[in-house]
Amino acid sequence: MTRAEAKVSSWESDARTDLALLVKTVGYEFRKRIQFRTGFFVREVLNGMVQPLVMLFVFAAIYRSASASGDAADATLGSWQYSEIVRYVAGLLIVMKLVFNARGLDLSAEIFEGRITKYLTMPFRYFVLIQGRFVQFTIMQVVVATLVWCLAYALMGDRWLVPVSWLATGQALTLVLLGSYCCFLLTVILNTLAFWLDVVWSLLVMAWFVISFVGGAIMPVSQMPVWASSAFSWLFPYWMISAPIEILMGRLGTDAFLRGLAIVTVQLVLLDALRRFTWRRGLAHYVGAGM
Amino acid sequence: MNAGGETDAYVLEAHGVGKSFTTFERQPGFLGVLKNFVARKSVVVDALSGIDLTVRRGETVGLIGANGAGKTTLVKILTGIVPATTGAARLFGRDSFHLRNQEKARLALVMGQKSQLWWDLPPIDSFKLLKEIYSIETVDFDRRVAEYTKMLDVEDRLKIQLRQLSLGQRMKMEIIGAFLHDPDVVFLDEPTIGLDLVSREVIRQFLVRLAEERGVTFMLTSHDLEDIEETCKRIVVLDGGRMAFDGDLAALSAQVMGKRAIEVHVDPHTPIDESALSRDIAAFGAVVAGRSVAAVTVVVDAARLPELVPALFQLLQVRDLSVERQPLELLVREIYRRSDREGSSIAGSRPEGASV
Ligand SMILES: Nc1ncnc2c1ncn2[C@@H]1O[C@H](COP(=O)(O)OP(=O)(O)OP(=O)(O)O)[C@@H](O)[C@H]1O
Ligand SMILES: [Mg+2]
Repeated sequence: MTRAEAKVSSWESDARTDLALLVKTVGYEFRKRIQFRTGFFVREVLNGMVQPLVMLFVFAAIYRSASASGDAADATLGSWQYSEIVRYVAGLLIVMKLVFNARGLDLSAEIFEGRITKYLTMPFRYFVLIQGRFVQFTIMQVVVATLVWCLAYALMGDRWLVPVSWLATGQALTLVLLGSYCCFLLTVILNTLAFWLDVVWSLLVMAWFVISFVGGAIMPVSQMPVWASSAFSWLFPYWMISAPIEILMGRLGTDAFLRGLAIVTVQLVLLDALRRFTWRRGLAHYVGAGM
Repeated sequence: MNAGGETDAYVLEAHGVGKSFTTFERQPGFLGVLKNFVARKSVVVDALSGIDLTVRRGETVGLIGANGAGKTTLVKILTGIVPATTGAARLFGRDSFHLRNQEKARLALVMGQKSQLWWDLPPIDSFKLLKEIYSIETVDFDRRVAEYTKMLDVEDRLKIQLRQLSLGQRMKMEIIGAFLHDPDVVFLDEPTIGLDLVSREVIRQFLVRLAEERGVTFMLTSHDLEDIEETCKRIVVLDGGRMAFDGDLAALSAQVMGKRAIEVHVDPHTPIDESALSRDIAAFGAVVAGRSVAAVTVVVDAARLPELVPALFQLLQVRDLSVERQPLELLVREIYRRSDREGSSIAGSRPEGASV
């Protein structure tokens, strides 16, 4: 066997181990999540329901006061009719379920308390275990989001957000999941700052707020002032939250999807490079405390 | 088998390895916090310096030293958990801090203070994860789990959550987990801490057997010298981050093998005249090896014991007397004393590269 062949075969066996391990981890994470039924219900199903309800209430008040007749349905704000806003919020409820959030990862604690030590001497990439959590989260949330959508559709029919086409659904889902992976990478990067800092949680909370705002979880990005909406459209959060909902509603089409795909892919690659960099630098800083 | 730059001779090497930790002094109180905020005072701790060590395949090395001597730090550097500040550490001929999966697959680490297994899982599930991580063949896996749990007497504990096991049972599971992938080099950092005598003995026998049957190289740290005596052929003594001794345990104990340490307790109110005592017992080839207020330790050839003991009763106001088989403790104390006095290491008392 030549050196190059040996390299390829070792890469292959590494990749196989990674994959087998990923599957195992996903199973393990599932078991951990489903163990407590009430916890599961609160965390996975109810989570993300409150904010949209509050938003509906606020939007109704704003549209009512902006409308000449006093009926919210008659008002239009920044190209958004009231009925559209209602469907946007409905879309938000579904999309936000799919977006990876920091709670799913306690990497910073693992670093801080030295719990990652044991993985450092094992022959696999630790990142695979973390990825396992992302995959588990995503599979579970796609199922939960589908169920919630079906239930809401059964109750509300066409007043609920109904995607314009299967193509739009596929495009939106692609963007949401890619964006969600970016979100995951960003969370990992902020968590690895635990090699240097002990304020990671506050950073995560701040980052999450910025992502929600920039992405359009507070209001549609296209309803914001032009300077803001054109600036935010260069960032992945917009393509993860606001844009997919507009695609589902038929307000954006395939050309927008392609632009989003390009932007998100580039940022995903950059974030992944940054993640590798911080991880490597962090390890050089690691002292393996508590051993 | 020998990948990359692994030299045939050494699986493990340290050349002038040093490690310093920078910590920031935290002053107490509110003012202290403010002061820290304005001007942090950093303190550099030299945990290790100038460690030279080479270990051949199949060697069993006992690493001893007082608390804070740097044992754990050395293990962390050799296993690549932390980088060395100075010098070079190598495992299987490769820089320890940049091990590839192929080297890691041949390495195992057991930490007495920290679990390598998954806390929420029963050991058998952790083992299955390890099987995946190390790509262990199913037949080997099944055989080893059966064999090792039997040897360590924990067959009936495999399905109980790790957190619910007793300390000793957990430690045994940790050790089994470490040996499942048939590693070439195993580091054990205080694997017997807090265990009862029976468990210790079982673990020692396990280690000895694996070293013999599979030629496993291991490095063991322990504060219990009996652990080291029974399992290791070579000892390395660290003192204040420096190497105080490195050599054959056999050669070392040959000096003391046939010797006995007699600890004599006397009435604290009648002081011992040490020089007189030394003179008197010299006739039996005995020496005073240590003393405290109310006790004195005398070392003598086992053969002369029957003559010396009655003599001691005449020479001293004996209240109590005990005989130790193997005064390795004394020897180690002597090593510390010498390294303190010389202020530098007496490593190199072992000929370079001499194998056991
Ligand atoms: N992360 C760290 N930051 C600062 N100092 C450290 C750190 N880790 C170890 N040290 C210091 O380095 C020295 C050696 O520590 P180490 O843990 O290697 O000792 P040890 O020989 O294993 O002791 P013990 O027998 O108590 O386990 C100690 O003085 C310790 O305080
Ligand atoms: Mg230690």
